[in-house]
Amino acid sequence: MDENQANRIKRALLKTGHLIGLFIAMAIICLPGLWIVLSSLRPTVEIMAKPPVWIPQSLSFDAYIAMFSGVGQGGIPVLDYFRNSLIISVTSTVIALAVGMAGGYAFARYQFRGKSAIFLGFMLTRTVPGIALSLPLFFVYAKLGIIDTHFGLILAYVALNVPFTIWLIDGFFRQVPRDLAEAAQIDGCTRWQAFWQVEFPLARSGIASAGIFAFLISWNEFALASQLTRSTNSKTLPVGLLDYTAEFTIDWRGMCALAVVMIIPALTLTFIVQKHLVSGLTSGAVKG
Amino acid sequence: MKNLLAGVSAGVVALVVGGSALAQDMPGSFTGVTIDAKLIGGQQYESLYSRIGEWEQATGAKVNVISKKNHFELDKEIKSDIAVGTITWCVGSNHSSFAPQYPGIYADLAALLPKEEIDAFVDANIGASTMDGKLVMLPRAQFDVSAMYYQKSLFADEANKTKFKEKYGYDLTPPDTWQQVSDQAAFFANPPEFYGTQYAGKEEAINGRFYEMLRAEGGEYLDADGNPAFNSEAGVRALDWFVNLYNAKAVPAGTTNYLWDDLGQGFASGTIALNLDWPGWAGFFNDPGASKVAGNVGVVAPPKGSSGVRTGWSGHHGFSVTESCANKEAAASLVWFLTNEDSQKLEAGAGPLPTRDAVWEWVIEQASDDPYRKEVLEAFQQAAAGAYPVPQSPSWIEISNAVYPELQAAILGDKTTQEALDAAAEKAKAILEDAGEL
Amino acid sequence: MRGWKPAPHVLLLLPAFVVLAAVVIVPLLLSLYSSFTPFRLTRPETIYEFIGLRNYIRLFADREFWAAFGRTVLLLTVALNVEMVLGLFLALLVEKATRGQRLLRTIMMFPMMFSPILVGFQFKFMFNDNIGLVNNALQSLGLTDQAIPWLIDGKLAFTSILIAEVWSSTSVFAIFILAGLMAMPKEPLEAAKVDGCTPWQSFRYVTWPFIMPFAYIAMTIRSLDIARAYDIVKIMTDGGPAKRTEILWTLISRTAYSDARMGLANAMAYVAILLSILFTVMFFRQLAKARQQIGAEW
Repeated sequence: MDENQANRIKRALLKTGHLIGLFIAMAIICLPGLWIVLSSLRPTVEIMAKPPVWIPQSLSFDAYIAMFSGVGQGGIPVLDYFRNSLIISVTSTVIALAVGMAGGYAFARYQFRGKSAIFLGFMLTRTVPGIALSLPLFFVYAKLGIIDTHFGLILAYVALNVPFTIWLIDGFFRQVPRDLAEAAQIDGCTRWQAFWQVEFPLARSGIASAGIFAFLISWNEFALASQLTRSTNSKTLPVGLLDYTAEFTIDWRGMCALAVVMIIPALTLTFIVQKHLVSGLTSGAVKG
Repeated sequence: MKNLLAGVSAGVVALVVGGSALAQDMPGSFTGVTIDAKLIGGQQYESLYSRIGEWEQATGAKVNVISKKNHFELDKEIKSDIAVGTITWCVGSNHSSFAPQYPGIYADLAALLPKEEIDAFVDANIGASTMDGKLVMLPRAQFDVSAMYYQKSLFADEANKTKFKEKYGYDLTPPDTWQQVSDQAAFFANPPEFYGTQYAGKEEAINGRFYEMLRAEGGEYLDADGNPAFNSEAGVRALDWFVNLYNAKAVPAGTTNYLWDDLGQGFASGTIALNLDWPGWAGFFNDPGASKVAGNVGVVAPPKGSSGVRTGWSGHHGFSVTESCANKEAAASLVWFLTNEDSQKLEAGAGPLPTRDAVWEWVIEQASDDPYRKEVLEAFQQAAAGAYPVPQSPSWIEISNAVYPELQAAILGDKTTQEALDAAAEKAKAILEDAGEL
Repeated sequence: MRGWKPAPHVLLLLPAFVVLAAVVIVPLLLSLYSSFTPFRLTRPETIYEFIGLRNYIRLFADREFWAAFGRTVLLLTVALNVEMVLGLFLALLVEKATRGQRLLRTIMMFPMMFSPILVGFQFKFMFNDNIGLVNNALQSLGLTDQAIPWLIDGKLAFTSILIAEVWSSTSVFAIFILAGLMAMPKEPLEAAKVDGCTPWQSFRYVTWPFIMPFAYIAMTIRSLDIARAYDIVKIMTDGGPAKRTEILWTLISRTAYSDARMGLANAMAYVAILLSILFTVMFFRQLAKARQQIGAEW
């Protein structure tokens, strides 16, 4: 009886501790972000105030209204940037996932000579710093005439994301026991069918996290985009952020507003994709 | 009036160039021509581009904007283009501080446009746009020189006046010399609540500020032979100004990491007494929605150094025509159009400073019933009179990058002023030698 | 049964190989070549001038370069370890939550949605000594009456950059570890409980070995990706003041574009690549070891 009660108290304490920990962690994560959101809504005079204004005195959507109005009234071609960002990020993510699934599957399921070396080689392509790549890449792109196009940036982002989509997906395929697929094949499935019906669903949480990751990297990438894009044909949102800087001035409020416009779709997408992460839980059949 | 002017210029052109393709009314007619342009982007610069449509209508040509980026990104892009040989465009935004880096890619506009049109610009701006005898760009109404912004109430306060007089032995008035700025900054400073002044502390910004202070102290950055000469006595005096303010805690402790955005936000927050800053902030500082000091902002010309010369580091934006352009006349016409009187009025009406004499008169006249704007313009006009660009060396930016960490080291006390300047001069010399300029 | 071509793995790997060759290998060879020239962007003809190892020799004698090198290694090491520990905690906290998982996971990934340049501006303003949020908060709470020079003092500036970096990237670790936790079978844990293991024991001997490969994957990916920190450092301090926070990436990109000395910059970049390779191979080894521990074949 006593032990039971002690146990219950202990559990309640643990639970409270957990909740508090969770709350603090989430607060630390959210606060800088919320500061951005708040900054986009407050008049500039309150953002950088001293003494600080902790409680907003007036909130308005002026910065957003300005963003969508014409050039000269504080407008920037946000719709163009948005479109470019969306096309480029989504396409490059889908391609990187497809290439990554093919590669990851090959590494997880086949034995061949030089496997580790090839694998390592793929990963090492990612160690090349963007700065060593940017000018030669620009050179190659200029010769091919794909500067300032969606295609050019998509290609670059696929290459950027492929090493780790391969890696991640490889890791998850490894978690799926080989016997499962083999069993399916014995049951009369082709390898292709076995892949889609048995292995793919089980590796889905890995593929989903690789997908989110690839998408967010492409969505936020700046260094390559600033070198390979030039006009509204292909400029993406992160490059567009700099539209709010002039030689000597910066419109921090406007920049925050654009940042919010950038974050919302990414947040929504992540929220939706969570579902597939969850489905990784159903893999009761997976053995360690 | 416009017609008349165009008529006159056409007449002059006919006399000067005599029968060439240019002997016609500006902007001319270029049906079927397409001009590819790389323009600087950003709020402050883009409203002008709405005028491109008018030029297209007037000339029958088309403009294709192939790039729009901020200043530094554009610089990177142009360098990349030079490097891989892809200067396939005709018109590019340019800046007097960056222009010396691109030797040879831009055409001489003086040969493409009527002399009369060029004479209508402020002489100093044309001088700063001329590299090796070539007029590489036409200045737009985005001329930048600094003036001293200050909080008026501080100088009107009787208690301040008496106390200041007691301590320093002269009257408290808006500063006219950098020595006064030092005294006043130390007098007003009350860290961490309030600071006397502040300065840009990194990159080209601190080097530029040091450069103008050096000149105001009577020194020179590069001597007549092109050797770095800033580690002189005047150089030490100039850098000590920054060092002493830092040590006296009269400037925010973070000042060596400040760039222009931090400075502007800082003054607008009402925690800085005196702020040497650019004309682009004038409207911002006096806007109650953006700035705590709105209504309390005074502006005077940049103070003088010990040599009696005012500081006057300046720069301006402009447009250039590439040497590789297939239709330079059309490109030059576009550049002229974007910097002509109407264009400059459009830009200068929003705050930036013009680079044409006639437009200066016009903006001052426009401001006659706005006392703040009038004060701003008078201060900046005085500043403009003593303004000069950076040394026109292709290595200027590189030298800046080598010198500024040394300046910071002196300010933060890692090195003495003389040590830091000597080290910087040595690096600058090596850069110039590497580049074959020495 | 094998209606496939003889080597399916070749087919499967081909797309990845083509993309990487086109976008990485070819440009890389070009830049390797240029590191043996005095190539200046503004003087394109200099790329044809071959100077052998001069750029490299220069670098090896350059104290500032090696200082930046050391600082980069330090930043990498500290940031990765802190991120891994915090990421692990975060993942465990989120995994244990009984309700609102979707929301929590989304929030957990919130910082990943901020473009690094935005993170840079954000933390630069927050750490501003005069009007920044951090000093304002500390002063309002009465914790200090000083204006702490966050971005000036060498150690503080390093810390500030570290905070920005950790804030923006801990999510990466958290998400990988969380994915590992979710893919983990429940039976061994239950078995451990039945055997009377304490929570710590079952974590240490059951959970941790299982999620370790994921942690190493995250670590490696992050170590490859640390150049992303460039955007943050560039905006927060740009290596300053007085080179106190100079890291390889700020140095290289200033040399490459602002100074226009691409040849020299590429030589620096190649030295930097060696560093990344070292880190990668190290984690890679550990990953293989961790995998062996949980019995996965390699």
